[in-house]
Amino acid sequence: MNTRRKFLISFASLFILWIVISVIGLHSGTYKLSPLDTIFNGDELSKSILYNIRLPRILLATLAGGTLAVTGAALQALFRNPLASPFTLGISGGASLGALLAIRLGLAAGVLGFSMVTLSAFAFSIVTMLFVYSVSKVGGVVATGRLLLAGVVANFLYSAIVLFIQFFSNFTQSLQSMRWIMGSLDVVGYGQIIKTLIFIVPGCLILFSLTKEMNIFGMGDDVASSLGVDVRRLERKIYFATSLAAGAIIAVTGPIGFIGLIIPHILRMILGADNRIIVPCSFLFGASFLTAADTISRTVISPVEIPVGIITAAIGGIFFLWLLMKTKKEVIV
Amino acid sequence: MEPIIECKDIEFSYNHAQVLNGISISINKGDMIGVLGANGAGKSTLLKIITGILEPKSGNIRFKGEKLLTRNKREIAKIIAYIPQDQVFAFPFTVTEVILLGRAPYIGRFEFERDIDRDICSRAMETVGISHLQHKLITAISAGERQLVSLARALVQQPEVMILDEPATFLDVKNKTSLMKILSKLKIENGITIIAATHDIFSALWHFDNIKVLKDGNIYAEGKTEDVITSDILSHVYDINVTVKKENGKLFVFPED
Repeated sequence: MNTRRKFLISFASLFILWIVISVIGLHSGTYKLSPLDTIFNGDELSKSILYNIRLPRILLATLAGGTLAVTGAALQALFRNPLASPFTLGISGGASLGALLAIRLGLAAGVLGFSMVTLSAFAFSIVTMLFVYSVSKVGGVVATGRLLLAGVVANFLYSAIVLFIQFFSNFTQSLQSMRWIMGSLDVVGYGQIIKTLIFIVPGCLILFSLTKEMNIFGMGDDVASSLGVDVRRLERKIYFATSLAAGAIIAVTGPIGFIGLIIPHILRMILGADNRIIVPCSFLFGASFLTAADTISRTVISPVEIPVGIITAAIGGIFFLWLLMKTKKEVIV
Repeated sequence: MEPIIECKDIEFSYNHAQVLNGISISINKGDMIGVLGANGAGKSTLLKIITGILEPKSGNIRFKGEKLLTRNKREIAKIIAYIPQDQVFAFPFTVTEVILLGRAPYIGRFEFERDIDRDICSRAMETVGISHLQHKLITAISAGERQLVSLARALVQQPEVMILDEPATFLDVKNKTSLMKILSKLKIENGITIIAATHDIFSALWHFDNIKVLKDGNIYAEGKTEDVITSDILSHVYDINVTVKKENGKLFVFPED
């Protein structure tokens, strides 16, 4: 099968998967409703739940899952390293610290409709990325080993500060912080979602446009350069596009782990390694995965909601280990 | 004959260490050139500069009389192909996928490979003799086979010049010989100019028309293989005593203790 056909078939199948999962998600919840019935002859309450709670939540899950998976795939290509993800580079650590500081300082006001918690989280994640990036440069060249190490160290440092702040917080603040760190897709209305799109859409589009070069980049700097790729520019583009997109979504949802790491790997096991297929398909698969995980988290012990990060890590982890054991080949480099 | 590649006064330094001290060489179309020299003599750096991967600190490279670096990278990739010493394969691509990457300079950003690209790819695999590997993962084949895959990848770039850095490093005697045969074939049948750095003096002796010898970032000797491979030159370049003997019309090199 040629690459174009493979891409179209995979993309279409994953799109259908996403539609099916989203419809199930709209159906499911503490309050039982049927989307079609509600649209055409539902009462005010059902309509309000469907339009203002469930639909925005599914859209947020789609955006978050998709963005985290795409940025994970792109970062794995950038670092030629299967362990790279927005989390390994300190983005989530930075976001958590930013959010916690805002909560602890009781910053309530918002700017342009963003809450201070979100803004602070975004600012900290971007600053962290810039810091990690500049530390890892040696003679104008990004040393990937240094970069991963700097990201991991930044995460540890931040978590120490986070614990320190937690220690001196009162119960309410502490609970609020804890909830943020667990990650959540709780959202009402579309305001937040539309605003994150300002960062996510350009970020993801840039990454989609670089997939061919990511493939070539996988052959090493010298070969990539000899095949016409401006290696340094490609690195910068991938780095800043992922920072923007991942930083924006994590600032809104809190850190939801694991998606950026495992979704691209699962797809590679099934579809092969071509980034022209893996990166765009990661969006749909990540979106479907997080939407499904969120539906489970809302319904499994309803009306109590389990934080979705627990579900993604549990399902994702077990599934991934199973795949690893099943495919003991050289698929994972 | 007009040279296909001319380097003039090429200087290069990494940080502050001078690697090349004003090298000038000229290479004719269809030649098969071996670049010899001890470790650290500047062979790899020179090859990367000719490929356009590194920019020289001063001096210039001309391709058919025109300055090479006035062309953009994609255009250079259509005329000069490069095979490095250390091969990196970060993703478990299939052999076919790796070779198709060599078509990248001819394919637009949002395009997929066309039928013609796949035809060129199949032909390259036949030429190199790796058609049986096409569906294998690049991560699952031997180092020698990977070298042949890289050769096929370079071939689909349809280059006029092919540059190889230590192509025989990971190959056993059989694979080394077949690689050299393929290179000779490419030179004769496709008129490709071949420039290869090598530590393997025997393959240099038997397969290359011309040799450039580098020492401490300078051209120490150059010319026809038989004229350059002498006890005197090799002893100076490698800093050990070397004897060169001729038997049955073939040259042999023996390092002494």
